[in-house]
Amino acid sequence: MRLVLDANEYIFALGFAKKESCESLFKLLIDNFPSHPISVCRTIVEEVRTNLIPKEFQNFIKFINIISTIDEDFSIPFEIGFKYEAIGLKEADALIAAYTEWVGADVLVTENRHFLKHNPVLPFKVLTSEKCLRII
Amino acid sequence: MKTKKAEAKKLWDELRENISKRPSPFAGMTEEEVIKQLRKTRKKLWEKKLAPRT
Repeated sequence: MRLVLDANEYIFALGFAKKESCESLFKLLIDNFPSHPISVCRTIVEEVRTNLIPKEFQNFIKFINIISTIDEDFSIPFEIGFKYEAIGLKEADALIAAYTEWVGADVLVTENRHFLKHNPVLPFKVLTSEKCLRII
Repeated sequence: MKTKKAEAKKLWDELRENISKRPSPFAGMTEEEVIKQLRKTRKKLWEKKLAPRT
């Protein structure tokens, strides 16, 4: 099952704010690597970066390069993004949704309720870390 | 593959440990407030990304 993990999942799992389900999800994904491929785009990496000091960011990149490869945002077809804007997602959220579709991920894991409310019309599942833990 | 997994685990654990040693930018915030803050960051980065195109 291919996953896209939204920036908020990394932030919670890194311990910036306490959320056990996010921590458990990352632990499970690392322990079972590479059973569940993870896709990550530049926007998500940049969002995590804003909270890391340079040395930490360097290690974060090393970590990401082991578990995945970073896809550049410009690779994501614009037309997929527009489709998501049209259903009411903000531009940056639309990009993440477009990215999730483009990489053919089964699940976008996020705690962001703006995604969760669009769940029924998306071609992939949108799950919180807690729900994701139940199905993998 | 085993080595890669071990390396990923080591990097992740080190990152978490280092982050736990310094004040969190989200200290005292509820989960909802953290998500709201992250949405603001997303918006700012997006505007910065689009700025050169306008």
